[in-house]
Amino acid sequence: MDINDVLRILKERCAPQLTVRTLPLGETVVELTPEQLRPAVETLIGQCGVCHLSTITGDDTGREIVLLYHFWEGVGLTLRVLLPREQAVISTLIDLIPGAAFYEREVTEMLDIMFEWHPMSTHLFLPDDWHSDAPLRKQVQDA
Amino acid sequence: MPKTVVPIGPQHPLLKEPLSFLLTVEGERVVDSSLRLGYVYRGIERLCQDRNYTQNLHLFERVCGICSYVHTLVYCQGVEALLGLQVPLRAQYLRVLMCELERIHSHLLWLGVLAENMGLTTIFMYAWRERETVLDIMEELSGGRVTHAANVIGGVRLNPKVDQTTFDQIAARLRGMVAQVEEFQDMVLNERTLQARTQGVGLLSAEQIRRYCVVGPTARASGVDVDLRRDAPYAAYDRLNVRVITHQAGDVWARTLVRVQEVLVSMQVCQQVLSEMPAGPLTVKVPRRVPTGEVVSRAEAPRGELIYYLRSDGSDKPARVHIRTPTLPSLATMGEQLRNINTADVSAVLSGVDLCIACADR
Repeated sequence: MDINDVLRILKERCAPQLTVRTLPLGETVVELTPEQLRPAVETLIGQCGVCHLSTITGDDTGREIVLLYHFWEGVGLTLRVLLPREQAVISTLIDLIPGAAFYEREVTEMLDIMFEWHPMSTHLFLPDDWHSDAPLRKQVQDA
Repeated sequence: MPKTVVPIGPQHPLLKEPLSFLLTVEGERVVDSSLRLGYVYRGIERLCQDRNYTQNLHLFERVCGICSYVHTLVYCQGVEALLGLQVPLRAQYLRVLMCELERIHSHLLWLGVLAENMGLTTIFMYAWRERETVLDIMEELSGGRVTHAANVIGGVRLNPKVDQTTFDQIAARLRGMVAQVEEFQDMVLNERTLQARTQGVGLLSAEQIRRYCVVGPTARASGVDVDLRRDAPYAAYDRLNVRVITHQAGDVWARTLVRVQEVLVSMQVCQQVLSEMPAGPLTVKVPRRVPTGEVVSRAEAPRGELIYYLRSDGSDKPARVHIRTPTLPSLATMGEQLRNINTADVSAVLSGVDLCIACADR
């Protein structure tokens, strides 16, 4: 499906005021609120046939946490969601995309973000005795 | 029947890199498994924030000891996009050449590891012997067998002694390898011991591939027709003929056949690159500071889609780099692949998806 058709469907079904921009190598970035993310992903999978989640990037800008869900289906499509730095919580996608499990666990470990209903229990990358702050949080970097 | 937990790793003859599987077995059947990463976690995404863009080339080259070149390629093409640079055509062709040589040596390395883990030592010996030829070629081009330092932002850096004669010699040496790789293909298609160990083992359907977002040869061996060299051409791939190999079986046997046939395709691409190599400069001049912006850069690494996200805040260091290597989604399928199989098939399943743990851990 053409990227313009995908954006039109997203606009109709999830976010009438869709903010869209294009990055230098052609990736299309769509801004969403945390509440719009899940319906948008359901629409991408169900209506647009876009189901390959390449990865999730978590980025602490110092002002907020940015979550970027990078999809790929012939073209790159990134869903961009902003979360507050304190009590950063968002719904998990693993029931829609089982492949998101490791990506969500990594973001949780590195940036201390909670994915609601994600059944994670132990560290995936960090040592078992790691009890310090999340490594990619800004206050750790500035210390 | 009582359940027993069998640890595989973090140090185990089956695994060439540290990774921990805990297999729950009932008699000879594996009924459950769990895995633990992080034994070679180096915090590269954090380390790169303290280094400038040029220094980071050396850091990202060390994410992986097998596909080191493609990591710098994806990083460089991201930074070049932020800078708005047009890389010279000769450099683009050389990037393809290095990528394809890397794919050949990575697939042959994997074939050897799979064969050795299944007790087929002869194939292991032959595969690694051929791989040596490719490593020698890469050393001749760049000066390094594993870490090549052949990419720079804005182009490539090459051994100054390399000229057209070198390219002709490389073409001849690659032609000399074709017969042996075709013999590997015959072995996969006809050798009954190899087939008995791999057919119907580690099955993944196309639906499972999509659900777990698996990429590369593992996906193509389950009938998912995806390859970024064709679907989103980078470097000089839009000028070259890349045949995408797929098979429907979805087992370790199909993964073996896909990779062996991909070696033959890569050899053809190398021949085309060497015969059509354009003249011209290797690099363009690059400003020190990168303008504010974001970019998502992708390429087809030997194991599949490699993706880098880069954010620049306008300084000489990246504000954020996130790397997702193709092994990570493959690892997510291990629970499904290891469930309800015979313990004797564990070696084929673990080897079959071509795990690169240093890549996955970063």
